[in-house]
Amino acid sequence: MIDVDALHSGLGLLFSSFTPWLIVIPGILIGLIFGAIPGLQISMAMAIFLPMTLYMDFMQAMLFLTAIFTGGSFGGSIPAILMNIPGTSSSIATAFDGYPMSRKGEHNIALGIALGSSCIAVIIGYSMLFFLIQPISSAVLTLGPAEMSAVVLWGVTLIASLSGAHLAKGIMSGLIGLLIGTVGYSEAGVARGTLGSAYLLDGIPAIPAMMGMFAASELFKLVNTQYLVADSSARKVSVRVIFASFKRAVTYPWVILRGSVIGIFVGAIPGVGSSVANLLSYIETKRKDKNPESFGKGNPAGVVASEAANSTSEAGSMATLLALGIPGGGATAVMLAAFAMHNITGGPQFIREQTDVVYAIIFANFGQAFLLIALGLVFIPLLANIVKVPMTYLIPSVLALAVFGAFGLTGNMAGPYTVMIFSLIGWLFKRFDYSVPAAVIGILLGNMAESNLIYTYQISGAQWSYLLERPVTIGIIVLLFVSLLGGRLVNALSQTVKK
Amino acid sequence: MTTFNKHQIADLLVLTVLLALVLGYCWDAYNASSQVINLILVLPLTGLVFILCAIEFINQWRKRDQQAPELEPFATIVPVVSLFAAYVVTLPWLGFDVGTCLFIALFLWCHGERRWRWLLGYSLCFASLMTWFFSQMLPYPLPMLILPTEY
Repeated sequence: MIDVDALHSGLGLLFSSFTPWLIVIPGILIGLIFGAIPGLQISMAMAIFLPMTLYMDFMQAMLFLTAIFTGGSFGGSIPAILMNIPGTSSSIATAFDGYPMSRKGEHNIALGIALGSSCIAVIIGYSMLFFLIQPISSAVLTLGPAEMSAVVLWGVTLIASLSGAHLAKGIMSGLIGLLIGTVGYSEAGVARGTLGSAYLLDGIPAIPAMMGMFAASELFKLVNTQYLVADSSARKVSVRVIFASFKRAVTYPWVILRGSVIGIFVGAIPGVGSSVANLLSYIETKRKDKNPESFGKGNPAGVVASEAANSTSEAGSMATLLALGIPGGGATAVMLAAFAMHNITGGPQFIREQTDVVYAIIFANFGQAFLLIALGLVFIPLLANIVKVPMTYLIPSVLALAVFGAFGLTGNMAGPYTVMIFSLIGWLFKRFDYSVPAAVIGILLGNMAESNLIYTYQISGAQWSYLLERPVTIGIIVLLFVSLLGGRLVNALSQTVKK
Repeated sequence: MTTFNKHQIADLLVLTVLLALVLGYCWDAYNASSQVINLILVLPLTGLVFILCAIEFINQWRKRDQQAPELEPFATIVPVVSLFAAYVVTLPWLGFDVGTCLFIALFLWCHGERRWRWLLGYSLCFASLMTWFFSQMLPYPLPMLILPTEY
């Protein structure tokens, strides 16, 4: 139900003065820069600038932080497209087709289409949030640890199913990733797989591992290449093409809509959402496309699917934060800290008593989407010039950048060491057809999968029958097997029928 | 008689090493604690990896007649990997300022850049800019050799 009085009041909060909007533009720019630089995270940007919000009222603070969130969500796709480094875990699927497009000289198209789909999806996502905030939060409350474990396994299996002819290696990569994600202190209070190193007691740093596996390993492969884009005529940066491709995003309405629905519902799941939503959207788009073989080789629909989902997963995580007071990830955790700094507690009471503020935050994001278009169109052409840099200069620069970023994430040498070791592992994985994305998702979610399995074990009293009382868990497990074996079964059946 | 090609032998070697590492990790976890909550994920996953490795061994055996795919030569990767490893390992002593500058300059030189102004200018500018930017942004000090550790 929409509270019309609160809606009026919320719009009044936003538009009665221009002051709240003054901090949105720097917020989006900060987000874009932190998202676009590998190793600098959106949550890091928000944490660094959080003290500034002490001098703002609550409304301004939320506008500033959500602006960083919006800018960063898109910013992460820029290095994913240009350098095969997903700026965040929610941009992993963007690299699948965005980077091959760049290598073909279609970087202008990829960046424009990513910006277009992101902005449209932000508007769709927050529109859905406006109407569905209550049902989404109720749905999230029904998810227990059993469902969370199933979602993690589903995410890993989904990505492994992309491995095509190398399915066994794909699944194995995901499982090995999950195991790597459990290294360090366990819930039982014992250290595992640390090899006696104090650096590993907290586990293997997931984001530096991701940077090593995706970026550094790819750069090793490109050592003998002169430019990222081989054809010199295709290296041009064209604002006109970027703008035309931005508009082209609307030619994928179903891909955007599907990605948005997946993004908002899966994105609302705390901790798992944003990492899985983009993959799920990508796989669904690939499955429904007439030419699924073109995915992974530079199909723009792959970029649209991923960007639509990761942009709306922001709205999904905001639903959980606003309605339940549960942060879905690092960025929303910083927002929760901003809530605390202004003596506000998120949750049902907040929605009931400050509905106008909730509506104002939602409407502010519509405005942010339009500002992102303007800032993105200025910012992207500058970054797209990366394709003109010779690989001799680009490779050491990006490797060094990854090392700086990794140090920034861990605060010690564990980050750079992780990048180095995982760059080798990533290179070996690519060379021998293992799935790097599946391994990365496993590393990101391994710890969470184990914690949720333990909670399920403790709640259920070690009784399997407990799962029968959780229809959502069974549903997700069924989906897991369908996504893994569905295509193969249909092929096998159709071949049998033909015979 | 059919034989494995070099790529398949290397593939089997990687598979064996992965299996050994997974088994070793499981053994380490078991030795640390045999409680269910310690092994609830590690043990089943190890079992699954073992089964998948067996499947992959069979796959490789079936494909033993196939030709090796054309891949970038191993020899071209080794110097880059070695230089990168040396850069990372020496960072605590050389610092991010000098280490990065040396890494970039050596990489450029190894890849044929002989224009000294470009070589020195780029590596100095890049290292200084990145070191300054990150030392301003990060809440903890970067290891340095020449530039100030804390700003």
